Amino acid sequence: MAEPCHASPGTPVGFLTDTTLCIGCKACEVACKQWNQLPADEPLTGRGLSGLSYDNTVDLGAETWRHVSFVEVAAEPSVTHGSPVTAWLMMSDVCKHCVHAGCMEACPTGAIIRTEFDTVFIQPDVCNGCGYCVPACPFGVPQLSDEAHIARKCTLCYDRLRGGLEPACAKACPTDSIRFGPVAELRVEAALRVEQLRAAGQGQAVVYGDTRVGGTGGIGGLNALFVLTAPPETYHLPAKPALPGDRAAGSYATTLVAAAGIAAAALVALGPRR
Amino acid sequence: MTTRHPSPTRPYRDVPVIHRAHWKWLVILYFFLGGIAGAAQFVAGLASLSDRQRNHRTARIARLVSFFAFLPCPLLLVLDLRKPSRFLNMLRIVKFRSPMSIGSWTLALFGGAATASALRETLGSEDRVVPPTWFRAALELGSAAAPALGVVLSGYTGTLLAATAVPVWAKGSRWIGPLFLTSATASATSLVETVLTLGDAPPSDAERVGHLEGICSVAEVALLAGWLRSVAAYDRPLLRGEAAWPFRHLTVGAGLALPLALRAFSPRLPRPARTAATVLGTGLTLTGGLALRYALVVAGAESADDPEATFRFTSGSATSHPPEAKLASATRSAP
Repeated sequence: MAEPCHASPGTPVGFLTDTTLCIGCKACEVACKQWNQLPADEPLTGRGLSGLSYDNTVDLGAETWRHVSFVEVAAEPSVTHGSPVTAWLMMSDVCKHCVHAGCMEACPTGAIIRTEFDTVFIQPDVCNGCGYCVPACPFGVPQLSDEAHIARKCTLCYDRLRGGLEPACAKACPTDSIRFGPVAELRVEAALRVEQLRAAGQGQAVVYGDTRVGGTGGIGGLNALFVLTAPPETYHLPAKPALPGDRAAGSYATTLVAAAGIAAAALVALGPRR
Repeated sequence: MTTRHPSPTRPYRDVPVIHRAHWKWLVILYFFLGGIAGAAQFVAGLASLSDRQRNHRTARIARLVSFFAFLPCPLLLVLDLRKPSRFLNMLRIVKFRSPMSIGSWTLALFGGAATASALRETLGSEDRVVPPTWFRAALELGSAAAPALGVVLSGYTGTLLAATAVPVWAKGSRWIGPLFLTSATASATSLVETVLTLGDAPPSDAERVGHLEGICSVAEVALLAGWLRSVAAYDRPLLRGEAAWPFRHLTVGAGLALPLALRAFSPRLPRPARTAATVLGTGLTLTGGLALRYALVVAGAESADDPEATFRFTSGSATSHPPEAKLASATRSAP
């Protein structure tokens, strides 16, 4: 087990979620819900069972800040001696705490801030429920809560960090699939793990969350990293997302060009008779 | 053993990768009315700039149309936020990177400016009351700022959609702003034309505004075509989803094709029929403008719900599909 890490202000901290170590126990989901006092959520079907393998929370949302997905895949016949075997790729998904966060840029109230631990945090008393962070997140993380009608997502246990504790999910993870620590150290650890997996024959092992995969297109990397052994889409993650706010300038520019065009048309249509 | 998995199952295929915006009718109506309010001030400014003397009735009507289109906007947004005081949170800070912040400030400032310009029109026409100088100065300042604020108010809603992770909005990011501004200007000029036609203004006033409306509608057709071309890989919700019918029949058919046809034929009609054609054309143009915003918002929700679209949009190259999982990696669970 890794040494418990005490976050100190000024040092960026985050998660490294190693999917190869995940056993799908959902201790992270439970610990998260307990510590953050989040209610149980209805799965998509609304009947208590989603039909998606052992996954009944289905997605990250306003009331689910850690989500364990159970991706069913067929193992290659060559390694299963021809018999069809279904295998699970399990992954505990979480807010990516982007280096340049789409939600934070989109937020008009300043409710979404970067904390002294370099994590992305929604201040519940400032959020006014405009909901713009929701479609602005390339990973589908924040969501409006039904009763309070404000945006909610993983806080990276901001309260625990301030109290010198590690986040509840990392604390509860029995296999150390979820590790918490300084992002710089986690990046090194992730790269070493991927090297190790590749040497062991996992040719598709990859770090999700550097500027090549996951933290692409102006996002500048993620503070919540993942080790994957299949293409990101297999885990329901976008391979090369981009920072939505980067499209605003071009949009304003073309709108101003259109305004100039309308002005020219008006000068002709409404101008003095020639 | 009777139940076997014949091929890789993909249990997450129906689960959206990104979350959709919660926007419904309140926001769609706001996009529509805010767009008209902003564009009407823009038209008023352009009318004064082109020929203040000849266009003074046009500018006046445009300013009043703008004011009345603006009135419901704050109410719609407050209803969307659930509590009036929540709108004040928008005015804590200014964030140039957030179209929502730019839009909130523009709406707040525009509200003052549009009110000032409407007051200036009504006070200025009668000499019964002489307001104090400082008040007149404030009205002048508001009226002067209103057209520029109007352009931003009318167009920023396009940027609001563009700066998201939603494929159909993000892909056509450079088209939606111009499309919204042009469509709003067509709606605003059409309304002004009808008010001028029904009022006692000389027919040439309405004709000139109608000319501008025609140019805007033609431009809107071109922008719509350009936008559809640019989002071709992600247009399924527009062409086959819930938005398909209103988009095809109300935005394109009733909102653009019919009014343009009416405009082309109305000079050959007798006078009363021409007035009826103008009123009908305005009704159709407004319907089209509202349907355009409805189609975009609804198509965006469906686009966000489509994981395939999101994966294509984030695969690195716009056309290629994401690689199918080759799962040698599954060996760890194999015997």
